[in-house]
Amino acid sequence: MSDSPMPNARPASVKVYAALLAASAVFMALLGWSASAYYVPAGCLLLAALLLWSGRGYGLIKWIVIVNLATGLLLVLVLWLGDGLGERKLDVSGVMLLGNLLCGGPLMGLWGSAILPSLRPGRRLFQWFGQQPA
Amino acid sequence: MSTRNLSRHGSRLAQGTLLGAAALLSLGGDVHAASFAGTVTLPDGRPAFGAMVSVFNAAKNQKQTVYTAADGSYAIVTPYAGTLDVRARLANYEDYVSTVEAAQDQASRLDLRLGTFADAQLASDALSASAHNAVLPWTRADDRHVFVSQCNYCHQIGNSTTRAPRSHDLWLATINKMEGYFSMVTKAQSIRFASTLEKGFDGRPVEATHDYGATDELARAKVEEWQLGDGFSFIHDMDVAEDGKFYGTDEGHDCLWVLDPRTGEVERHDLPKSNLPRGGLFSGMHLAIGIFTGSHGPHSMAQTKDGRIWITNALSSTIMSFDPASKQFKTYDVPGDALYPHTIRVDQDDVVWFTIVASNQVGRFDPKTGQMTVIRLPSNGFFRWVSGMLFPTLLRISSWFPDQVLLLNFSHHRFLGYDVLAFPYGIDVNPKDGSVWYAKLYANRIGRIDPKTLAITEYETPLEGPRRPRFDQDGIFWIPSFDEGALMRFDPATAQFESFKVPGVAEGEYETPYALNVYRPTGDVWMAANNSDRVLRFSPATKTFLSYPSPTRVAFLRDFAFTKDGRVCTSQSNLPAYAIEGAVPSYLCIDPAGGERDRAALASALVAGN
Repeated sequence: MSDSPMPNARPASVKVYAALLAASAVFMALLGWSASAYYVPAGCLLLAALLLWSGRGYGLIKWIVIVNLATGLLLVLVLWLGDGLGERKLDVSGVMLLGNLLCGGPLMGLWGSAILPSLRPGRRLFQWFGQQPA
Repeated sequence: MSTRNLSRHGSRLAQGTLLGAAALLSLGGDVHAASFAGTVTLPDGRPAFGAMVSVFNAAKNQKQTVYTAADGSYAIVTPYAGTLDVRARLANYEDYVSTVEAAQDQASRLDLRLGTFADAQLASDALSASAHNAVLPWTRADDRHVFVSQCNYCHQIGNSTTRAPRSHDLWLATINKMEGYFSMVTKAQSIRFASTLEKGFDGRPVEATHDYGATDELARAKVEEWQLGDGFSFIHDMDVAEDGKFYGTDEGHDCLWVLDPRTGEVERHDLPKSNLPRGGLFSGMHLAIGIFTGSHGPHSMAQTKDGRIWITNALSSTIMSFDPASKQFKTYDVPGDALYPHTIRVDQDDVVWFTIVASNQVGRFDPKTGQMTVIRLPSNGFFRWVSGMLFPTLLRISSWFPDQVLLLNFSHHRFLGYDVLAFPYGIDVNPKDGSVWYAKLYANRIGRIDPKTLAITEYETPLEGPRRPRFDQDGIFWIPSFDEGALMRFDPATAQFESFKVPGVAEGEYETPYALNVYRPTGDVWMAANNSDRVLRFSPATKTFLSYPSPTRVAFLRDFAFTKDGRVCTSQSNLPAYAIEGAVPSYLCIDPAGGERDRAALASALVAGN
């Protein structure tokens, strides 16, 4: 028996990111007890943690992170510089905020900014997803 | 004439205590309708000091009140005639009411004897809210603090409407409803509050002996009240205009109520409609913030030298001018993400300044140029910065789902508490240098805005809940501490605070001073005391408080204004108005020397009559 790692052994980064996402999901769920909208990012974070742990759903997790970061960035920009949008400003920021929460909220943004580069082809997480059976 | 004591079940004939033997004296000369003089005695026959003698007009929508002297004597001159109720009231005793037929030019001698409550429940029911909420069994000191801040915010807790026994679930539902009206408690606090309220308001009578501190000065005073609006009115503020009329902003009905106190005539002026839904920008909150049926939510007023009255419209984030001559309104949008324009004042140059509570801003509007500037105030911490950034967006999301209060599901105040907002609330202009000062209710700060450079300097207050402050003529800033029941004095020259605790009417009871104003000719500070049905007058010279018991129970008072002849006036503004004794709001004025004048006038009339 070889003692080299199994081809589909979880990389340390997967374990770390999955743990961070899961812990964030728990934290958000605790906040959700007080303000139920926080259950939404909690659910998304938990889903992302499970997908990452199992190495499935590469496309889904990639787009969750992309939408999360995009909506978060747009939200900040609209609130900061969006007075020119007039009456529509808060409608736009509202949609961005909802989109951001649906995709994991600010904690997903925090971890996602580190996860996203690793999801590019050739990087560790990309390989991890690629090793798993479809 | 009939005489009766009152119980909670209505009126009943006094049993063998018809001391209201009235000698009607037909008088000639300069006398008034429905003038009364006599004494008020306690049940044991001793003179009642500080008792209120109120005369209601025939329609029972106006009343005038004087306070008895140490010997129990009183005298009151009223403009009323017809079938009138005369009521004696003193804390710890049962009311005594006499119904009198009063003709024109007639003065009556009317002696009144206060009653003893038939049972403990009646005695309890007559106590102010302060007695009832003092017995709430708090398990955590900080819970009581939040309760004072958030649950005494718009109304008394402990009056007959709010102390009704409820189950834990019903209290939870009630608190949840209040959250929809912007009470900001955490989820955990709401559960603990429900437990405390369930245990504390159990329907059993409360025992307390109230002392409103009768003085000779009190016996010099007279109170006039005029009812107006209806049970769903919310007359937030009233102001005395240059024309001598009283103007009140009814947030419940989007209108102004204008009273001519000389004639008692009342006019209603409806604000022009806005394009916003009911509740304005707050349409996503519960029932569009309580009883509000309009979309503007007129809130506070100030008058410029050209006669125009400037109004903050809290729900539509606009300010509005009202011309008393033409009766025309004109609307001005407050730009940006401004939410809830609140208190408004005018500086020496006729520039209008106003706080914008929910978005942590102050507005500046120059009516001469039409230029509007919105000044963002310091955030006072990360979470308040986040709140300031996101709150308008959350409110917009909520408005997509009217009455669903979606905001509560998003807001971090549900786990961090109410002070995630800074809440710039009251505002005033320093007469010494024209600087503009505001008070942040939740961030516990006051701030100075340089009117030229708009530079801001803030100071932490030693006590929490600085609400609606005012300057005196020497440039001293007087600030009510709502959360801690005190008055703060701040000297901008030295940046030093001094604090004065408001005495309760009984041991263990607290006070909730909401607003104040300084009568500049004397320097006296007049202040609302919304937990115990009284108005406070603080003398800076003696550093003492004098209490003026309110003739109307459930007195929740806001801004104070002064007439040219020195009366201090305000509006009965409890939410809901139907909880106020009489079930409708009113304007009221205290004339510190009005009772004394009535004594003098009636004494001479009685002498002339004899």
